Amino acid sequence: MVDNTNFPGVEVPIKPIDLGTILSSILIIIGAYLVTRIITYILIRVSERAGARRITVKMVVPLLKFAIYGIALYYILGFLISLSSTQLIAFSGLLGAAIGFGLKDLFADVIGGLIIIFEKPYQLGDKVKIGDYYGEVSDIGIRATRLVTPDDNLVSVPNYLIFTQAVASANAGSPEMMVVIDLFIDLDSDAELAMSILKEAIVTSKYVYISKKRPFTVILEDYPFYRRIRAKAYVYDLRYEFEFKSEVTRRTWKEFSKKGITAPQVNVMSEKTMC
Amino acid sequence: MGITLVKKNSNEIIGYKQEIESIQKAITDFESGQKLDIAIISEPFAGRSTLVNAIEEMTAYKITKRSFSSIVRNKEELMFPERPKRIVVIDNSHFFYLRTIGGFDILEAFLKSVISSNNLFITTWNLYSWNYLHEVINIGQFFPIQLKLPKFTPTDLKELILSGYKEDELEFLDDVTSEDKRIINFFRYPVTIKGREKTINIPFLTINFDRLRFRLSRKEEKKKAEDIIFEMIYRVSNGNPGVAKVVWEKSLEYPIIKPSYVRENSFKIDLDYTESFILYIILSMESLTKEEIVEITGEIKVDKILYRLAHQGLITVDHGYYKIRPEAFNSLVDYLKKSRVIW
Repeated sequence: MVDNTNFPGVEVPIKPIDLGTILSSILIIIGAYLVTRIITYILIRVSERAGARRITVKMVVPLLKFAIYGIALYYILGFLISLSSTQLIAFSGLLGAAIGFGLKDLFADVIGGLIIIFEKPYQLGDKVKIGDYYGEVSDIGIRATRLVTPDDNLVSVPNYLIFTQAVASANAGSPEMMVVIDLFIDLDSDAELAMSILKEAIVTSKYVYISKKRPFTVILEDYPFYRRIRAKAYVYDLRYEFEFKSEVTRRTWKEFSKKGITAPQVNVMSEKTMC
Repeated sequence: MGITLVKKNSNEIIGYKQEIESIQKAITDFESGQKLDIAIISEPFAGRSTLVNAIEEMTAYKITKRSFSSIVRNKEELMFPERPKRIVVIDNSHFFYLRTIGGFDILEAFLKSVISSNNLFITTWNLYSWNYLHEVINIGQFFPIQLKLPKFTPTDLKELILSGYKEDELEFLDDVTSEDKRIINFFRYPVTIKGREKTINIPFLTINFDRLRFRLSRKEEKKKAEDIIFEMIYRVSNGNPGVAKVVWEKSLEYPIIKPSYVRENSFKIDLDYTESFILYIILSMESLTKEEIVEITGEIKVDKILYRLAHQGLITVDHGYYKIRPEAFNSLVDYLKKSRVIW
């Protein structure tokens, strides 16, 4: 049993907490957790069949999570307190103070999560760079966003970082994503032929996506001891980013070696390093 | 891959009236000195070869025709007579390229000859190859007249299929039961409770969407068995004449055909990305050998993939050439579009 808390001027009626209240609250939390897990499982499965709308379908997941946990919180608070409108204002002040002193970070994370969902600086399934970490967004939770890095590490990034850090999203909600491929050749090799081979390697790749809005380019840049050929093209699904890069690079070098196009010599590279 | 669109006992072609008019106009313009090269683009099984054959027969002008059924690797095959100026018809021009590094050389040489020649070129292309080449090399700029063959209407399909039979040769029987005609049907699903050896029937309702569609179109009462059958064939083939003919041949138990004989093939397509890509390559080239598929994809496990595609009823092998099965055509195109392998 807990005494009613007195607040200057207004009395906030906190209901007595008994075993039933605790059990009900636990059941609601478990129920909310199970419902979110089931919905997440179903929507992720559906999203994989949704083709171009994969990321849009996935974005419903965090929205539903917030809604379900919000409703669960509402019911739990309903067990604990019953408020009139005046009391609600007073309780909000009390809650504000609690948030200000103790739950500041948690509250910032929750607000950050809501902003991520509605403002969409990134979405579920996007490839993003937040702080020092780069990876695919696998979950946007109440408190943190989870990224899967290229070497399969799961990184939890607190949602409040959205207020303080710049976030780079490589695909901004689209399933396709630009990939930059750099190849270096020596000065004696035929650069025009090399560009043409790289272009054909790009357009014939099984992972490439080309359209009016998603064009490809191949550019040449001269450096003192070597030349860089850079290709910019879109991979049809960002999950194949590294396979695309690897496939194009492998096939291009195979063709380069047939046509006598060579990489910069090691001694030249060391000379450059020395400079 | 060819289907015949020509009426039996006459040279009249069924469907594509507008396209034929456009081609004839381009030929007339060519005679008066204006050269506007033509690309006829269609899905597989849509009858573009029959269309150009019909054009050849209709035209009095001298025509040089080349029809390709496999990848062209020799530039000498592109030698066309230059004088006097002629109409050159190239059927299946998508065989001029191979989706590999260096696989565009023949196509580039061909396009060069198109723009530098005095001849009028009438070319046919697979739709999916054309779309790919459009994004990659903007192929449309070489052909001022592009004719995408439309889908057949149910009337055209009926005319096409029945043109192969005499009047009253076939018997159309309506075997749609009164139960099948209901929009909502109740069924009882038996469920056996484990341990109790007791079966209970759970009632559930099913909606007959076919009937609902018919009712909404308010045509149901007037429909004869013949019309119902051709509407079903139209729906299954999605207006593709080659697919419709195959569905018809599989449904007909000569000389009888009933609505229940027309089966909508359902394909449970379950492919990984490489398998989908190989399927797309076969779809866009229409006919490829295993060696060519290996050359394009660089895939060493191609045998296993081709086996899986054949096992799912999506492709067939004909004298060493892998082709799309007409019955599976619409299902696999939907699947490839959904999985974004087709751009």
